[in-house]
Amino acid sequence: MQRVIRSLFQGQQTGLILVIVLLGAILTGFAGSHTDRLTGREVNNFLNVHTLMQTATDASFFAIMAVGATMVIISGGVDLSVGSTYALAGVTMAMTLRVLGEIGMTQTVALGAVICIGIGLLCGLLNGVMVVGLGVHPFIITLGMMWVLRGIAFVASKAESILVPDALTGVMKANLGLSAALYPVPMLLMLAVTAVGALYLAKMVMGRHIYAVGGNVEASRYSGLRIGRILIGVYTLSGLTAGIAAFAGTSYYGSASCADATGYELYVIASAVVGGASLSGGKGNAINAMLGALLIVLIRQSIRTLHLDQNYEWIIIGCAIIIAVVLDRVSAQFTLKRLTGGDK
Amino acid sequence: MNWKTMTLLAAFALSVNAADTKTYKIAMIAKSSTNPVFLSARTGAEAAAKELSAKHGINIVIDWRTPPTEDGQVQAQRLAQAVNEGADAILISCSDAGKVTGAINDAVARGVAVMTFDSDAPASKRFAYYGVDDVETGGQVMSELAKLMNGKGSIAILAGNQNATNLRRRTEGVKKEAGNHHGIKIVDTFYNIETPQDAAAEVVRVMKAYPEIEGWAMVGAWPLFTKTLLTDLDPGKVKLVAVDALPAELPYVEKGIAPVLLAQPTYQWGYVSVEKIIEKIHLKKDVPVINKMELVRVTKESLGSWARQLKAWGFTDVPEEYLKLP
Repeated sequence: MQRVIRSLFQGQQTGLILVIVLLGAILTGFAGSHTDRLTGREVNNFLNVHTLMQTATDASFFAIMAVGATMVIISGGVDLSVGSTYALAGVTMAMTLRVLGEIGMTQTVALGAVICIGIGLLCGLLNGVMVVGLGVHPFIITLGMMWVLRGIAFVASKAESILVPDALTGVMKANLGLSAALYPVPMLLMLAVTAVGALYLAKMVMGRHIYAVGGNVEASRYSGLRIGRILIGVYTLSGLTAGIAAFAGTSYYGSASCADATGYELYVIASAVVGGASLSGGKGNAINAMLGALLIVLIRQSIRTLHLDQNYEWIIIGCAIIIAVVLDRVSAQFTLKRLTGGDK
Repeated sequence: MNWKTMTLLAAFALSVNAADTKTYKIAMIAKSSTNPVFLSARTGAEAAAKELSAKHGINIVIDWRTPPTEDGQVQAQRLAQAVNEGADAILISCSDAGKVTGAINDAVARGVAVMTFDSDAPASKRFAYYGVDDVETGGQVMSELAKLMNGKGSIAILAGNQNATNLRRRTEGVKKEAGNHHGIKIVDTFYNIETPQDAAAEVVRVMKAYPEIEGWAMVGAWPLFTKTLLTDLDPGKVKLVAVDALPAELPYVEKGIAPVLLAQPTYQWGYVSVEKIIEKIHLKKDVPVINKMELVRVTKESLGSWARQLKAWGFTDVPEEYLKLP
């Protein structure tokens, strides 16, 4: 029992959860309150079900992408093209459904999901094949693909913002029996993707291989691991999560444009890093990436809730990322020192 | 009555007074907090809030929630946050109407009045829109440019962010009007990131690629916030007409590179919109759905009066020499 409690308090997830809870408590304390227009009751500006659900929803789109991007980071790579994959998948889905017209709710949702996921997988596969086949650093390949994919989305959509059928918005904004204006589907999707990602990384052989490759690529090669296949798989999974996020985001907001998710790759990488993923590979996990995304959204939320000057948003988020990484480094050094007996 | 009793009574009176004063929180979400035209809209909104608060004995608070860069998705998120935090009304300029329509409708369903300015979301349940007629504005830009070029020559269109509905409609207006001037040839439409440096760099790049260009129809005046084109464009060869005329852009009028600027009184975006919102939510009056803003034609002749108007609206960077002009 003592060991369980100790491991619980030493885990990085616990640290992230504590920071999120602490920030939540500060926000609750300082947010003030207002009278709810419909119920007439006094509600805290932060600690109310609408704000909490909205925070989770805002985080869900890049938290889903962060799960895939974390796998790439664990493998020692980086994927800068996830935002553009999101845009291309969303635009392709919206254009196809517009051409097809009314085809029934189930077919619309199924086809939309297939298109987004298919485009995501294809883009990810292309990234992986080029990273492995051309032997060029993933930063360069995915940077190039970031522009190529967004350019294709731009040319294909003629820069138009394309509305998606109501059936998609209806599914993603279903209240599932909760009160009106509460939309839990994106949050549930985020939790599902995170759970699958966490299980894949922790319990499946393919997942463990990713850690091995990221930890020491040469040792993995000599152990007989097929590095190329593993890396192609990792980039394909990153594309897959970008496709899922595109389906969720485009359906939720009701339209797609080539400018969607511009700059989100940086939020996605930041989520993974704040969640403890090491850019040199071999370290990170899906749950932490989701918590990292939640923390970043909460920081953004707090700037407005506390009426701070929002022009400082980028500075605050940048500082939070640096502090998170430095704390992680210090904690790793401390652990290493203790394991090697340096603290005796 | 001792001083303690008097203090307590005064505090009680003040608190009763404060409790009686109705507060209206208006969340203002423009497209980008780095674009000066939206900062002047904010100044206008805050001025209207102050004046109307005093006039009606209420307390109007402007809650500025504009994202640093244009992003329809972030606007939708901020709109939802404002509703969750008890905003009484929302004033928004939509970066992508499709993205924010759902959030606007959700806000209206929860009893929050939503008004759009500058860039509308016509399919949403917003109660009113205030801004120019964008197709007409584009047409006016082209018409002024055609006059300056005596109805002939090659021109380019600077069209800004390709996702903004209002800019797309202005571009449509430019092209439509160009069809009425048979001597005018449109080389192409060039989209640009809506920052001054990016826009100026795009103009310079295009001029090098198409040296035959003699005129620019700019649906927004982004590059004129830099001094680049003052030296890179020859006023004897190239003329431009642009929408907006803020202080930093006025030297282009003086030097004859932009003999005509069509100014949107951007301060009024905030001022008039707050007036309309208060009419709707406090005075319970009917407000027209479309409230058209008229453009102001700024030329060398009207430079002085326009400069003084800008100064009166709170712009602090109006060059002194223009203020002295007749």
